[in-house]
Amino acid sequence: MKKTLLKQYLSYAFLGLTMGFVVARIGFADYDELHKMFIFADLRMLISFAAAVVLSMIILLPFSKKIPKQHKIFQPGTIPGSMLFGFGWAVSGACPSLVFVQLGSGKLAAILTLIGIYIGVLLHKKIHARYFRWDTGSCGV
Amino acid sequence: MLEYWPWWLGAIGLAAISVLNFLLVGRLLGVSGSWAKVVGWKDDRARSAELKALTEDKGEMEDALLAETLAEFGEGSLEELDDIPEGEAQLQTSSSVEQYTPWTVHLVFLLSMFVGGLLAAMLTDSFTIEFTLSPVHSKIFGDDWEVWVALLFGGVMVGFGTQMAGGCTSGHGLSGCARMIPASLIATMTFMASAILLSFLMEATLV
Repeated sequence: MKKTLLKQYLSYAFLGLTMGFVVARIGFADYDELHKMFIFADLRMLISFAAAVVLSMIILLPFSKKIPKQHKIFQPGTIPGSMLFGFGWAVSGACPSLVFVQLGSGKLAAILTLIGIYIGVLLHKKIHARYFRWDTGSCGV
Repeated sequence: MLEYWPWWLGAIGLAAISVLNFLLVGRLLGVSGSWAKVVGWKDDRARSAELKALTEDKGEMEDALLAETLAEFGEGSLEELDDIPEGEAQLQTSSSVEQYTPWTVHLVFLLSMFVGGLLAAMLTDSFTIEFTLSPVHSKIFGDDWEVWVALLFGGVMVGFGTQMAGGCTSGHGLSGCARMIPASLIATMTFMASAILLSFLMEATLV
């Protein structure tokens, strides 16, 4: 039991470290690069992301049976939630992972984004339990 | 000027994370799920205690069930139970035992991304402490407290939106789209379109 827990810590630490590094080197933590992508002034990062999706689709194909069925369903919150996220992303330049990478590259203002995301997640937790109650199909972890 | 990776190198890097995530922890990448776990750490602690109690009670429960079965159906029923092929029984137990990841592991995951970003900045000599986000961001939102208000509200939208949509760039965008899940394709198109729309509007206010 202890050993599997240690393996989990190490695996997730390694994954987070690699992801932070890769995402920073692509330029996603740089608001100017991101804004250029959103107004189609520079498509490098968009192509990079699309190619990554295609690449992982191909590599994951042989494992299809082993991959746990993702509980991602279309639910009433899919579209409004995604819209809200898109607007927030354009304003703050951050998605739930990018905010940490921004902080790592020295952008202290991202602390406000971090606090904001925390409040947002907490707010959704409360409101969802009180009013929505539908299955959000969130990354089942 | 900092040189970023060309598109193909970035694609390989992101795809490697997506695949490594599956190979190392047996499920696909999803950062907003980790956020939910960390923010809801109290629920997670309760669930962990429940799970522990359940495994401890299992032995007791099995004995009770056995006694009940014997009382209800007699000795003969046990022989019938033995007829169930081994493989089938195995399958049932392995699927009911769900791999449990405590919230602290997810916190380590999130904080490691900070370290990864720091490492990247240090290695490229681009680490500078700044109180604003970027030149363009300051041009759009001003360069004083307005920036901070924008970031706070932006953050709330990101946090609330990703939880409501059931995923973010990694969960819906990278993992979901790679598996061609309809809800993820819709979500990804929606948040990209929204971000693009608002970015064009913000750009228009600059002129």
